[in-house]
Parts: sequence; C-alpha cells; structure tokens
Amino acid sequence: MVDTALADAKAPVATGTKLQNLNARMTSTSWVPWLYLAPTLILLGVFTYWPLIQTAYLSLVEWNLNPGQTADFVGLSNYGRVAGGTLFQSAFVNTLIYIAASIPLKVLLPIPVAMFLWSLGGKGHFYRAILFLPTLISFVVVGVAFMWILNPILGYAKQYAAMIGIHMPNLLASPGSAIWVIIGISSWKVLGFNVLLYLAGLASINRDYIEAMRMDGAGDGTIFFRLIWPLLTPTLMFVLISTVIFTMQQVFTPIDLMTQGGPSNSTTNLFYMVYQYSFVTFDVGGGAAGTMMLFAFLMLMVFIQLRVLDKRVQYKQ
Amino acid sequence: MFRIKLGRIALGLATAVLAVGTAHADTELAFYHYQTGKSYEVFRGILNEFETANPGIKVRDIFAQSEQITGEVQAALAAGRPVDIATVIGKNIVFFLNNTGAVDMVAASKGDTAWLDGYLPNFLDLGRVGDAVYAIPHAYGTPMLYYNKDIFTQAGLDPNSPPKTWEEFVADGKTITEKTGLPGGAHLAAAMGDYGTMVMVNNAGATYLNATGTKAEFDSPQGIAALQTWQDMATSGMMPIAGDTDWTAAFNAGQMGMYITSSAALRGTVAAADGKFALGVANYPLFGDHPRHVSNSGAALMLYAPEGERRDAAMKLLRFISQKEVANRWSRESGYMPLIQDPLSDPAMAAYVKDFPYVQPVIDQMADTIPTNVWPAKGTLEAQTVIRAMLDELWAGQRPAAEIVPEAVAKVNAALAANN
Repeated sequence: MVDTALADAKAPVATGTKLQNLNARMTSTSWVPWLYLAPTLILLGVFTYWPLIQTAYLSLVEWNLNPGQTADFVGLSNYGRVAGGTLFQSAFVNTLIYIAASIPLKVLLPIPVAMFLWSLGGKGHFYRAILFLPTLISFVVVGVAFMWILNPILGYAKQYAAMIGIHMPNLLASPGSAIWVIIGISSWKVLGFNVLLYLAGLASINRDYIEAMRMDGAGDGTIFFRLIWPLLTPTLMFVLISTVIFTMQQVFTPIDLMTQGGPSNSTTNLFYMVYQYSFVTFDVGGGAAGTMMLFAFLMLMVFIQLRVLDKRVQYKQ
Repeated sequence: MFRIKLGRIALGLATAVLAVGTAHADTELAFYHYQTGKSYEVFRGILNEFETANPGIKVRDIFAQSEQITGEVQAALAAGRPVDIATVIGKNIVFFLNNTGAVDMVAASKGDTAWLDGYLPNFLDLGRVGDAVYAIPHAYGTPMLYYNKDIFTQAGLDPNSPPKTWEEFVADGKTITEKTGLPGGAHLAAAMGDYGTMVMVNNAGATYLNATGTKAEFDSPQGIAALQTWQDMATSGMMPIAGDTDWTAAFNAGQMGMYITSSAALRGTVAAADGKFALGVANYPLFGDHPRHVSNSGAALMLYAPEGERRDAAMKLLRFISQKEVANRWSRESGYMPLIQDPLSDPAMAAYVKDFPYVQPVIDQMADTIPTNVWPAKGTLEAQTVIRAMLDELWAGQRPAAEIVPEAVAKVNAALAANN
C-alpha cells in the first residue's frame, strides 16, 4: 500500500521531470540554431527579401517614390506595358543568346584549359596567373580598352588590319556582330576565374585513382570520361548556375559603355533593360515589373538546371 | 534665498546657452550638382562668396555624376533627405514637375521677380508652366560646328569659310573624304538621349514632340528631309557609323574634318587642338531657308527648399547666382553658355570674348535656342530605343528615310500612348 502510494506519488514527479527536460532540450535545440542563423537571416531579410517584396509591390502600383503622391494600384498593367514592348522582346531574346553563348564559352571552354594547366602541375602557375589577370581588371577598363581597339576611325584593330590589307568592319555598328563582341569580351574576362574554379575541383581528385586506371590500361579519354568528368560535376554544376545568373551582370558594363543596348536593341538584355527603366527614364513601375520578370526567369533557369543536372552530379569520390 | 539664487543661476545659464546656440544656428542648404574639375572650383567659389555675403547660411554641395544626378535627386527626395536646390537635366524637367514637389520660383519670390528678368526669356521657357517658373537655366549648352581648318586646306576648301547650311556641310564633308581619305564630318547622336535627332529635326522646321511630350511629330516632310540628310552622310562615306565617343576622339585627334557637338565641349576641344591643328568654330548649319532653331542641352536648377528659413535662404542663393556679373563669370570660367541677356554689355564678358573668340558663335546662337524637348514618364524608354534603332537603320541605308521615319514615329506614339 505504501509502495503503491509512493509509486503513485512518484509517477507524476518522474513524468514532470521528463517533460521539463524535454521542454528544456526542445527549447535549447529549437532556438540555438536560429541564433546561429540570425545574422544571415537578418541580412537576407533586410537586403534581399524585403527589397524583393517592395519591388513586387512597386510593380503593381503607379508611383514614382514621391512621398507626396499616393501609389495607385494598377494590377498587372506595368507588366503588360513592359512585356508588350519591342524592347522587352529584344532584351528577352538577347538574354537567351547571352546565356546560350555563355555555356560553351564560359562553362565548357575553361575545362580543357584547366585540364591542361592541371597536367602541367607546378609549372602551370605562370599560365594560371596570365589567364587570371583579365579577371582582376575592372570591366570599365576592359570596356574602354576595347572601345579604343575597335574604334572604327582610329582603332588599333583597323590600323593593324589595314597593314595586312584587310578592311576592318565596324563590329559594334552592326546588329549581327555587336552582341558577339560583348559576349567575347565578357568570356575573355571570366575565363580565368572559371579555370581557377575547375582547377580547385581537379585538385580534389585523388591522383591515385588515375594511376590505378592507367595500370589497368585505361587511356586518356577513358580516364577523363569515366573518372575526371564525373568527379568534376559538382564544380561544373556550380560554374553553370553561377554563370547563368551572373552572365547578365557581367555584360552590363560593356553594354553600357560600348553600345547602350544598340545597334537596334541587338545587345541589350533584361538586366540592362531594367536599369534603363529604373534609372534612365525613372519609370519605377516599369523597372519593378521588369525586375520581377527577370527574377522569375532566373528562378526558372536555376530550377531547370537543378532538376535536370543535379541528379547527374557525382558528389562522392 | 538660496533657492532664488539657484533659480537665477539656472535661468542665466539657460539664456546663455540659448544665446550661444542661436548665434551659431546656421541655415544649411543642400545643393545637388554634377560639376567637376575647374567647373566645380568656380561653382564652389561662387557658393563661398555667397556664404561670405550671408553669414548665417551654409551651402552643402552634393555631387553626383551627370548621368546619375536625376536618380540621386529622386532618391534623396523619396528618402526624405534634404534637397533645397537640385540640378536637373533638361529633358527630365517634366518628370520632376509631375513626380516631385518642385516649388514655383515666381510664387517663392513673393512678388519680387525682378531677379528672373535678366535671363533670356527663351532660356526660361524650359521650366515655365503658365505664369509659374519651376526651373532656371544653369549649365546650358548649344550645338556648334567644330571644324579642322588644316583638313579644309588639304581638301582644297576655304578654311575661313565653314559651311553655313546642311547642303554645304554635306558637300564639304564629301569633298574632305574624297580628297583626304579622312571622315568628312559627323553630328552628335547622344546615344539613348536622342538629343541629336531632336536638334536636327527641330532645326529643319519640324516638330519633334508635341508640347506635352506625348506625341512624336517628326514624320513631317521637314523631319524626313532632315533625317534623310543624316542617312546621306552615312551612306556617302563622309560619316563613319560610330558613336559620340568615337567621333569626338577622331576629331580631337585631328582625324575628322567637322563635328557638330555641344558648346559644352568647347574648352576641351580647344585644348585638344592646341598645337595639333587649327580649330574653327561656327554656328549650327541652317536647313534650307528655315531660321535656326537649336534645342539647348544641359541642366537647369529646381527649387525644393521647404517653406521657412531654408526656402528664404535658397531664394537668396538663387537671386545671388542670377546676378548678371555672377552668371557671366560662371559662364566664362566654366565654359557653359551665357544665360543672361545681352552678355556683351558686361565689360568682363566683352574682354573674354575678345581673348577667346571661339565663344562668339555660342553667344550669337543664344537667340536661336529653343527649350529641349521633354519626355513624359511612361513609354519614354521604349520611345527612345525606337529612335535609336531608327538611326541605326537610317545609317545602314537599306531603305530611305521616307519609309523608316513614319514607321518609327508610329512606334514611338504607340509607346507614348500610355500617357494619354
């Protein structure tokens, strides 16, 4: 009877302690990670998500940020106005061209270059430095330098072409060639950086695997496709996603300096179009609508890449 | 007794602190501008003079690049930061009138508007809405014909007889290219700003945009004829298809016969030509028998100071810089166009023109200046890109201006329809 009474008396105490412990554990485990995350979350919230929400709001109203005026809700009319224009259509098509061209030039071309430098071992440092140098030069400097090179009246390209009897066409004046000049310049500038990323990926591959494959009689092609390529896919994935996202920013300065989107809208892109709406003609609603469409487009591109490519990425050695 | 003493001491201290505080309470004005180098030194010097003459007022000058000044001012106004006087690019004035709380300077003058009378009336038109004046001229330019006298001589042309009409300009340009192999001449395009198209069309007697800036009207016979001239310059080979930067570089290097660009480039061009080639400066060519009508480039000043001490101080400053002597000095030392009527009646200005005769055509052209066309808020980017694409197509020479221009005008008007 006493035992039972004791047991009865102890039972709720034991249950209570467990609950307290659980609560204590729950509390400590639930807020500590948030505490660690807080600086990042606050920065992301203040500088990324809050502006994004604000931009979404501005895209739905007619208002030019004047505190003295009311913001009139206009629904999707800013979207319709921007998307219905020939400028948007050109900018969208050009954006696809910039992205499509960036894959072979900025994502794939650096791989053989990195392989070559990797094969040189320590001797490759010199070439690595030379290749990386354009990355360190400001896009403004690069843009101005190429403007001088390609100047159709006094440019170096024209002078040197004339010396060997070639008439140098004005590449920046033709809608067919201007976009390729911009793509070429941005690829040249980014190549070294992407090579460096691939070199980092290659450095993580255990060379013993290669030796083992060679002892089994595997040739260079087999080693590359069966070993190096799969182990390089995480780096490839990173380079691909970052290139697609940043390629429009990378061409912004050359466009602004060299063509301002012309000739005949042949070099503009969505990123530059948004800048023009917002900061050249101060059409805040149009700029915000363009930004939201650009955001949706980039989200879609990244989503497709993750869905299609991520399954093929080999994360384990 | 002790309490009364303490109270008196406290009162005395408070009064002293208040008195000292009041004595040092300057009114600070925020003046947004885009002046750099020598122009900034002159600008700041004038502000310093004003501060000396008005001990209770300090002027904080806030710099932004000319391409960014409009955005900077808009951002400051939106964020509620102080803006008392702002430099606003001419083509953006209507946007600022519609979207910001600009102050009417006539109303702010409280009946004493004599200070505005010195300005050339056509220069004030840019900021005039009925009887109100929302902008006064500040850093204006006008398009001039710069030519290389040495190249004229090489081409067998009279170096002291620059072209007076567009017909002569094209003929001389072709001669230069034929005889010397150098580009004959070019006319500034001003890239996305479409300023070059506006000037060419207005000067030919056409209307570029209607008064409210919501309808393009340059598909008239005069507008098409003017733009056909530009196409002829490109297709004849006298004007290499390029941009303002390339043309400026070529002219300054002594590698192009003629270049039409803003008077704001005068000092830079004179410096570039020094010791390299003999420079000539002449008026903007006439189109047929139409009187010369050239749109101003550059920027005006708008007033934003809130009512009270800051408004009064800002008005004092605007009156100060609008004095004939100060305005002429600003023009002389910065290189901008004179703004005040009859500038040569000022002996200092007359002496300046005598020493620096290149500026005489600029003064001659003051009376021919019309306000730059202004764009509305919506559809401007679309419209300007259409005009830019129209120029590209014109210069490519695949179709005549009579086909290209009406199509472009229809597209511009479709883009601007959102404002109607």
